[in-house]
Amino acid sequence: MEVNIKDVVVPGDVAVEIMKSSEKERVILGPGLRRDCDRVLVTKAGVLKRRKPAIFYVDSYQKRYVPNRGENVVGIVTQKAGDIYRVDIGAGELASLSYLAFEGATKKNRPDIVVGDVIFAKLLVASKGMEPELICVDSHGKKGKLGVLSPDGMLFDCSLSLARKLLHPSCQLLTLLAKEQAYEIAIGMNGKIWMKARSVHETIAACNAILAAENTPPAEMPALCSSIARNLLRIS
Amino acid sequence: MTAREVNKTKLSKGILEMKFMKRTKEKVEKQLFQEEGKEYFGAQLTNHMKKGSDKFIIEPSFVFCEGLLDGRVSFRGMNPEIERLMELEEEAKQALTRKQNETEITDEQMAKHYRSSAVDTMAKKFRTKHENKKYVRDDSIEIEPLEKKPKFLKPSD
Repeated sequence: MEVNIKDVVVPGDVAVEIMKSSEKERVILGPGLRRDCDRVLVTKAGVLKRRKPAIFYVDSYQKRYVPNRGENVVGIVTQKAGDIYRVDIGAGELASLSYLAFEGATKKNRPDIVVGDVIFAKLLVASKGMEPELICVDSHGKKGKLGVLSPDGMLFDCSLSLARKLLHPSCQLLTLLAKEQAYEIAIGMNGKIWMKARSVHETIAACNAILAAENTPPAEMPALCSSIARNLLRIS
Repeated sequence: MTAREVNKTKLSKGILEMKFMKRTKEKVEKQLFQEEGKEYFGAQLTNHMKKGSDKFIIEPSFVFCEGLLDGRVSFRGMNPEIERLMELEEEAKQALTRKQNETEITDEQMAKHYRSSAVDTMAKKFRTKHENKKYVRDDSIEIEPLEKKPKFLKPSD
């Protein structure tokens, strides 16, 4: 069936508008779209979206993470095998993380990571046939925001679309939550979220707020945050 | 006729091995290699490769498509290290927008700028030592370029 922008689409649909709009300019096909000769086919169920100038993608609900190069993910170290760590990032396969991929790490000076640690890392390699590879430094060898997350936080899973919703520049939830309490958070594109606030109560409350945000429209988010804060006051 | 043509192109091994046939031998081998290649990979060339255009770029990640943030944030002093990095990022972003918004310098500003520096410097060059001593810079009064020394005027007869 032929579909247009903002339509609900299913795999196999033909996105006609993309071919029409793109006589001269380069078109970027995001997740959920693929090219077949000079047609563009939909491969995921969701809503077909467009971002200026010519970026098209399917906004879909998904829980299984498929690694993509350059994405930031939260993972759990599950194994130490020779000179690499195996990290569970929720993909079909465990990701590998070299012990040299940390700031200031050398062959003699290994990073202090044990099995069970939670890390925030960037995907360096992610292709269909190979195991994903993580890295905890940027191209300048600086760690930046990546690295081990402290063990007194809490890790929980959510859908990939919620992770995307939180990371969207127009999402106000994180700043609204910051007005109620101090916290730090690491949101992975793989739908794993690590959260730490001042106390266990606060951490759990903030986690609940984030999970509740999945089905909350942006307009109701201030109300959500204040109700969480009110509940916290009642407990303490 | 056709049979003869085929025979003509296909030289026997014995002849190709001969010393004076070296160049022809190379040519024949090259042709053979290309034909083999076509047989091998012809089946793998899909429609899409034949009709391919470079109009489309495939981007498998949402991060670029939706312009997502990088997901590690801290608020109200929970992790000062991260907050410092966030601040630096914010500054860099603002500097970028400021640069874009920057208007061109107006003529008036330019004149003022020159008046305060260049005119003064140049004027200093042409002052005598005596004038230098009593010279006090005052921005409030309008600086006028020094008058030229009166030239000798030839008296007219």
